Formats: sequence, structure tokens, C-alpha cells
Amino acid sequence: MSEVLVVDDSKVMRDMVVACLRPYPGLNFTHASSGLEAIERLSLSPYDLLVLDLNMPDIGGIEVVEFVRGQDRLRTLPIIIVTTRGDEASRARALSAGANRFMTKPFTPDAILAEARGLLEEKPA
Amino acid sequence: MTASVDLADFLPAYLAEVEELLDSAHRQLMAVEASARRGAAHPKSVRELFRALHTIKGLSAMVDVEPIVSISHWMETSLRQADQAGGRLPESSVEPLMEGLRAVEQRMRQLAAGKDASPVPPGLLERLEALGVSSPVVASTARPSALLLDETLALAPRLTPTEREQLTSGAGHRRPVRVDFIPGAERAARGITINSVRERLAALGELVKVVPVAGPAPGGGSLTFVLLLSTDASDAVLKEAAGGEPAQVRALSTAPSAVDGPSVPEREPELEEEPEEGRRSSGTLRVEVSRLDEALERLAALVVNRSRLQRAVVDLTAVGAPTRELRAILQENGRQLRDMRAAILRLRMVRVGDVLERLPLLVRGLRRTTGKAVRLELEVGDAELDKAVADRMLPALVHLVRNAVDHALESPEERRAAGKPPEGRVRLGCHANSSGWVDITVADDGRGVDAGAVARRAGVPVPRGPDDLLELLCRPGFSTREEVTSTSGRGMGMDIVRRIVVDQLGGELRLETRVGEGTTFHLRVPLTITLLDAIIFECAGLRYAVAVGSVEELIEVEAARVVRPAGAHGVALVERRGQSVTLVSLARLLGSASAQAVDATPPRGLVVRQRGELVAFGVDRLLGQQEIVLRPLEDPLVRVPGVAGATDLGDGQPTLVLDLNALGAARRPGSGGREERAT
Repeated sequence: MSEVLVVDDSKVMRDMVVACLRPYPGLNFTHASSGLEAIERLSLSPYDLLVLDLNMPDIGGIEVVEFVRGQDRLRTLPIIIVTTRGDEASRARALSAGANRFMTKPFTPDAILAEARGLLEEKPA
Repeated sequence: MTASVDLADFLPAYLAEVEELLDSAHRQLMAVEASARRGAAHPKSVRELFRALHTIKGLSAMVDVEPIVSISHWMETSLRQADQAGGRLPESSVEPLMEGLRAVEQRMRQLAAGKDASPVPPGLLERLEALGVSSPVVASTARPSALLLDETLALAPRLTPTEREQLTSGAGHRRPVRVDFIPGAERAARGITINSVRERLAALGELVKVVPVAGPAPGGGSLTFVLLLSTDASDAVLKEAAGGEPAQVRALSTAPSAVDGPSVPEREPELEEEPEEGRRSSGTLRVEVSRLDEALERLAALVVNRSRLQRAVVDLTAVGAPTRELRAILQENGRQLRDMRAAILRLRMVRVGDVLERLPLLVRGLRRTTGKAVRLELEVGDAELDKAVADRMLPALVHLVRNAVDHALESPEERRAAGKPPEGRVRLGCHANSSGWVDITVADDGRGVDAGAVARRAGVPVPRGPDDLLELLCRPGFSTREEVTSTSGRGMGMDIVRRIVVDQLGGELRLETRVGEGTTFHLRVPLTITLLDAIIFECAGLRYAVAVGSVEELIEVEAARVVRPAGAHGVALVERRGQSVTLVSLARLLGSASAQAVDATPPRGLVVRQRGELVAFGVDRLLGQQEIVLRPLEDPLVRVPGVAGATDLGDGQPTLVLDLNALGAARRPGSGGREERAT
């Protein structure tokens, strides 16, 4: 079983991401509705993949990425950033902060599934 | 492998969430407008508004609604600039943004109705785009004040000047405070999470920032959330809000900045419209109404089952079995069922305040179009109403408020001349009384209804009392005339108001008016109503409704296949899938038939099950299926077995709702019928 943490303040968006990734066998999903909740959950239990929205009310996705990469335990956690047209400027920041992939809405279910598969399977032991 | 995922399946959930976001956006934009009128900034609302549109844009892109993507994109762009300008939005930007929200809303309605979203209205994008270019970027005026943050943590650089200002310039007795919350698995299991702590602390003051800090924390944690807020709550209260030990509360010291000196220019006045309540509490759950209805339906089945049990116990008692214990349990069971029904109905309650949250927006629009000064006062407190009632009431209330502003209130000049304050007042009050009814009043301090003028216009004698006057105003024909300048003014759509309140909901509508002083409409509606999916049919020239759930099958009755055993009085048999089913003429049963109608074979049959046996009721014509509001017949003396109640199908005529299961039972000798209902 691989644990996936899906972080977005929009419930519909979280549900969509989960639906897109569902076809990949053996995934278990946890939702977080804010950046702070994501950090809390990451500190309390291990995850294998983080799908993260950039624009959230309390702290943004980039700060979450920076926080995650600042922790030894989470340094190799694969991160997919999900965001909206118009956030292109954030792309460079997110990638340089240590995000692995960057999906811009709209994306197809297949596209995010392929990225997730790539990250989960190439993940260093 | 291809994902068999169709994001279009998310359309209903998308519509629900965007609707919520739009509500929030409307509230924020109105708060921004109020600030803009005073030339003040409202950074929080601009930020919230920006985020709402950003989310709408992203979601709309996922479900491929391009017009909404475009509109929200350009709105977002202009708001991004306002955000960068410290939350300052020129007043002239408000109207195009309102227009944008309306355009999004309109397209949402089209999607909800199963249509495609129409293209972006001509010129809208250009107007929105122009906002982004022309709005002057005003530099943030916030000056960094000297806030001496805890030296052990390098938090200070992480605060923007605005945030420092928010922390240090709290009104009254507020002081800057740092609360450390350490999350833990055990605490999370008790619901003490950063989300709940943040929400509780936000209620105690102004929560400015939350910073996660990694590293060994008291109590064996590896993470600390540092929450910075300006508050007047005591340390003990704050600590409790953060879940108690090992949380810590520390005061932050501030020192006057050497640069500013004591002559600090006066601050902008406190923002009065902080739409804090807009945040949805994480303690609420969205449930589709249909699921609650399903629960009620299940409960109704339980009630029916209980009556069977009751009959069985009566039979047992009759043969001398010891049933005292059984009867006691049965009685308790009845109470439990009633409590459970009440509990389910409570789930359908919505706050009246939430339902009416769009009214200020309506009044704002009217202010603009009529040029009248109006203040809308909502005095609804915590009153709650069944969602089904609320949904039906809203159009009636919108009508009354619109009428009040459009027709009843005078222009500011007229009001001044009459010795009234230039700003008119419309007050909407609501309170639930204990007997299951909700009283709603819509009052204005306008010109009142001139009965004489109304009578002249209708060409009838002057009505004697307010009831007669209301009767006149509610005449369907009366509503079609629209004379804004008329002194009688009122009446537009009053027939619709009465249709909703009286005919649909079974409530009351009263009028109280004094010429020159104002008008008050008193509405009384039931706290809850029963909705039913019904089959509508015609029998002997009259329309009836019956619950879809009670009908097993609809059949064609062919005269050739009807068998009438000799001597069986009025009872015939009809063949259904090789089985004989009793065919009952509903017309005859209801006593409404002429002799020839009884003799003719009714062309359609409604098959229902009675005590395990199938019975077909012959009817003349099926008219369709629709959701109806069931109004039970309240007077116990008029409770007729076989009649569930009445409804209004939208034509103002009462239509009987039949309970065919009981109607058959009542016909049989020795049967008491099913009188017990889930009431």
C-alpha cells in the first residue's frame, strides 16, 4: 500500500485528483484541506506521494514544499504540484524549492496518473 | 492502462462548490465596496475574493467550462493587482466585478439546468481587462512598526509590513501574542489539529499568521505551529483553545519605533464589515437533500411496519396472550420513531440568515437602479427553517423586498418633504414559535398602500379592511400592471407571494399598512413540509395525486381482458402477467362518478399492494409525475382513511393526495384501515 496525501482547499478538486489516481493499484488516500494541515499530517505519519495545490488560504503550496524539503525525513518525498493557469511564475519557485512535477489545470486524468506512476516507481528505496 | 475517469461526472459537486464560492465572493466584494467608498483598503477581503475566483477558475478548467474560466481569469488578474496594492480597489472597479460574478452565476444556472454555458457576454472581458490596466497601483501605506519578536526564532523576516501592523495595532486591550501548538497523533485523534486550533484562536482575536517550525518540541513532538495573533483573551483561555499542554502562550513585546516617534498619524478606522462568518466551519457536513429524504422514506417504512406489529399485538391480546410487556415496548418504540423523525427533520434545517444572505446584494442592485437610499435590516437571529420550506420561501421574500424598495419607499426628496429620514428602511424579521410555525415579517417605512387608489385601479369599491385590500392586491390580473409612479405602487407579483405562502406551504399572509407610515407583511409558514414524488392522474374529471413509492405498477386496462364475476358487486378482475388482479373503479369508490363512468372500463390502472395482495385502481388518464408538497389534513375529524392530504400542483387549486393502500383497506368490512402515519 502506498500512502498519498492530497492537499487542496477545494473538496471537489481533491475528489477529482483521487478519482484520477484511483486506477493505480494499491494507493491509499488522505485528504488535507490546508497547507498547515498537510504539514501536520506529514509530521505525524509517513507518506509516499504528496499532491499539492499552490494557492491555499493559510500557507501556500510553495511554503509547504520548502518546509518538506527542509526535513531530513521528507527530503525524498515525491511532490506533484497542481495549479491553475496564471501561476506560471510560481512554477520556477516551486520546482526550485524541490517539487518534482508541475500539473496545470486543466489536466487529463491520464496525465496526472502517468506522473504519479513515474514518481512512485522511480522512487529511491 | 487508460483511466476510465470522466471529470464531467464531477459537475454536480462542482456546481455546489462554486455556488458556495460565489456566495463568499459576493460577500467579500460588498465588504470591499464598503471600504472603497471610504477610500480605505480591505486586504483580507480582496485576498479572499481573489482566492475564490482562482479556485473557480481552476475547477472550471477541470470540468471544461471555458466561459467561466475566461471570466474568472480576468477578474482574478485585476484582483491580483489590488492585492499587491495592499488590498486597495478603486470603487469604479466594483461594478464590473459584480457584473463578472453575475455572469458566472448565470452560467452556473445554465449548467445546473443541463444546458451549455453560454459564451462570455460581449464587452465583459474588455471591461475586466481594463480594470487591471487602469487601476493605479497604490503603494502599501503600512509602515513597519517595531515589533520585537522572540529572538529565539527568526520569525520577524517572515512577516510582511501589513502583518506586523495587524499584530501591533490591535484596538482596545488587544495585545500581540504568540501561541505554540504542538500537533500529535493522540491529540489529532481527539480532534485537536492545527485546523481546529486555528479556528478557535481566530475566534478569540485577529489571527495574523501561522508559521510551522520543525525541530524537537515539548512533549516529544517534532513540529511546532507558531500562531501569532492580536487578542484580548487571557493566556489561560488561549492555552485552552490550543488544546492545553504542551501548548504555550507568550506575550510579544512591542516597542515604539524610533522613527515614528509618538506622533503616529491616526489610523484608518476599524473595518466594520469583516465577513468572518463566511468561513465554513469544519464541523459541518454537506449532505444531498435527496439522501435525507431517503432516510425519511426508510423511516416511513418503519412506521408502516410498526402498525402491522401493533395489529398483530392487538390480535394476540384478543386471544388472551400476555402482551403487557409487548405493548409497553411498542409504546416506547412509537416514541423513539417520533424522536427519530424529529432528528432527521432537524438535519434538514438551514439557518434563515444563510438563506437570505443574497438579499443585501439584491437591495444593493435596487439602490443603484432606483436611485433610492435604502437600508436593509435583517433580524433573523439563529432562526432555522426546513431547507425545502426555505427554498420555496426565498422567491416570495425576494418579491416582497423588491416591492418594498421599488414601490413602497419614496425618493429621498419625497421622504424629506414628508419629514422622514431620507434613507428608507426595509426590515426583515423572522422567528420560530414553539408550535412548529415560523413568523416572518417584511416591513418598510414607505408610503403605505392607498386603498382608494388600489380600488380605483382595479375598478372596484374601496376595500373595507386590510384583508380585503390584500385580497385585491393578490388578484392575478392586478400584478400585470406595472406603474412605478403610481401612489398605490404595490401589487406586483403579490399573487405569486400568496401562491407560495398560502397555497403551496399552507401558511398565512397578512397585511398591515398605514398611509404615509409604511407597510408590514406578516407571513406564517410551517417549519417543515413533506415532499413527495407523486403520480398525477385524472379520474372522473378530477385530478388526484398518489405517492410514486406506493404504486407497484402502471398498467393498461383492456376492456376485453376484464372479467366481471356475476354477483360480485362492482368488483372486477383484470389479468396482469397471467395473474388475476382485483380491479377497483376509483371513480365509484370516491363516489364522484356518474353512472356511465362506473360502467365503462377505465383505461389505466394503478397497481398497489394491500396486505400483500395486489389491487388495481382504474383511473381515466395519467398526467405525469412531479414532486409535490404534501399538506396533511390537520383536523383529526376530517382524517379520512385513504386520503393522505392535499397539495397544490401550481394552479392554486387544491388536489387530493390519495393513500391507495389505505383506500382499499377502508373499503373492506372488518378492516380499520391504516390510520397511523409518521406524523
